[in-house]
Amino acid sequence: MSGIVEEYTMVIRVFDLKRGYFRLTLAPFSKVRSIRPGQFIHVKVPNCGVYFRRAFSVYDVDRQNRSIDIVFKVLGRGTAALARVCRGESMNILGPLGSGFTMPSRRETAVLVAGGIGMPPMYLLARCLVEKGFNPEKILFFYGGNERGDLVDLARIRKLGTKVIPATVDGSYGFKGMVTDAVAEALAAGPGRVRMYACGPEPMLRTIDEMAKLKEIPGQVSLEAPMPCGIGICLGCIKPLREGGYTRVCRDGPVYEMGKVII
Amino acid sequence: MTPDLSVEIAGTKFNNPILTASGTCGYGEELADVFNLSELGGIVTKTITLMPRAGHPPPRIAEASAGMLNAIGLANVGVDRFIEEKLPFLEKYDTRVVVNIAGWRMKDYVDLAARLTDCQRADMVELNFSCPNVEMGMEIATNAALAEKAVAAVKKVFPRPVIAKLSPNVTDIAEIARACEAGGADALSLINTLVGMAVDIETYYPRLTNNTGGLSGPAIKPVALAMVHKVYQAVEIPIIGIGGIADYGDVIEFFLCGAAAVQIGTSLFVEPTAPIKIMKDLKKYLSERGLRNIRELTGQVRTYQ
Repeated sequence: MSGIVEEYTMVIRVFDLKRGYFRLTLAPFSKVRSIRPGQFIHVKVPNCGVYFRRAFSVYDVDRQNRSIDIVFKVLGRGTAALARVCRGESMNILGPLGSGFTMPSRRETAVLVAGGIGMPPMYLLARCLVEKGFNPEKILFFYGGNERGDLVDLARIRKLGTKVIPATVDGSYGFKGMVTDAVAEALAAGPGRVRMYACGPEPMLRTIDEMAKLKEIPGQVSLEAPMPCGIGICLGCIKPLREGGYTRVCRDGPVYEMGKVII
Repeated sequence: MTPDLSVEIAGTKFNNPILTASGTCGYGEELADVFNLSELGGIVTKTITLMPRAGHPPPRIAEASAGMLNAIGLANVGVDRFIEEKLPFLEKYDTRVVVNIAGWRMKDYVDLAARLTDCQRADMVELNFSCPNVEMGMEIATNAALAEKAVAAVKKVFPRPVIAKLSPNVTDIAEIARACEAGGADALSLINTLVGMAVDIETYYPRLTNNTGGLSGPAIKPVALAMVHKVYQAVEIPIIGIGGIADYGDVIEFFLCGAAAVQIGTSLFVEPTAPIKIMKDLKKYLSERGLRNIRELTGQVRTYQ
């Protein structure tokens, strides 16, 4: 028991990634070594009057400094307050929470599809794969946004040595169009055995989910839902399952096999 | 000397006065990942119905000022699976188990209580008369004569203590409280959630598919305190206070207003370890004041004349 801890960390750094995106480093978190890609932490946002915690996928970890990085976009009161926190401020976090990704086999090409603010867990997955000795050449990192400004920390992603395929709807950077179209093109070129991983807006996930089904490609999606509790007790973050009934995104997910959830 | 946090309700001893409220701790499994459930005075299970229920479609929870609205719709595994799969998990913990039950007619409550009679792990049952998100519950909750009959009917089949959980969505909660006492209730728990609503100003749709939901969290604490205070003066049976408890000070307030124990609910969503912290702080509060036990605080509020 006690795989989940609630503890105070300190804000180590706040990076303004521009256009409303921020990266936050929190430390020390005692469970940093047990975090798997796809898992998230539940953050109590200080001094902003929002009642619930806010859930963020883990973007990066530093095992030495026991720090966690998250990336977020200012969308509401909670994230607006989070963007205003200062270095040295204390912040209560709960985690690590949720299921993580299962790793691809060495014979497979890992196709990672990140849409907008769905990028963080894809980055951590890519990093862990590379660290585990997975050939970076066999990781295709698709990263889509509406415009260039939505693609944050591209240089860091590239540093992993994976193939990065940026896509923007307005064509201001990389492939012009939906990131899912870029993925479809790449899959049509016959990259061999593929396993797909995706995190991003629901329309994107729906398209990837359908693509996976059509081409019989295995893989997983990471879903997002407002999560009051994050540990599976409030039953607020549910999604319908294809087999019937509901699933709790925070506890049973947020990572699911393709085709399992009605997105 | 460490102050004594234990309390007694209807002849049943609780190691401490902190219970987790129904619908905020599932069947215990999830919270067991965060702390040892034996630290709790008791755990009140999610409402159990005769048949399994998937609950309302999402969204079922909306954030509110200092609280939340919910309309989960009594999602649960049903009494058979609860007894077979969920109740055994709680065997290994040294804590009281209160099974919360709800039905659509009086017979449902009786059938559920009867099914639980042989489950010794179910130390007590709590009758959910007051879930505002399903239709029939409210009728018993708001009708004193029906409430009395329902409690009496359950008492006939269930040999251990029966708690009636009261709704705040009534004209006079003391009247319902007295009726439950007359029906033979061993204790009362109050309050359940207050009916509330929130609307999305872009789509014009309510934020819950059920349109309305139950308001809980710190926002309702003052309402709950006033009702506990009122009911304490109306009945002799013990009261379990519920409503927005987030820290030890809240617990003390409920005790002073007449509670013999409390349930923590919505706060668990924000601070799952809250019960542990509250227990520690309660001991400190009591010892600083030279109080030997928490029981002596019940009903000690001084009122202005």
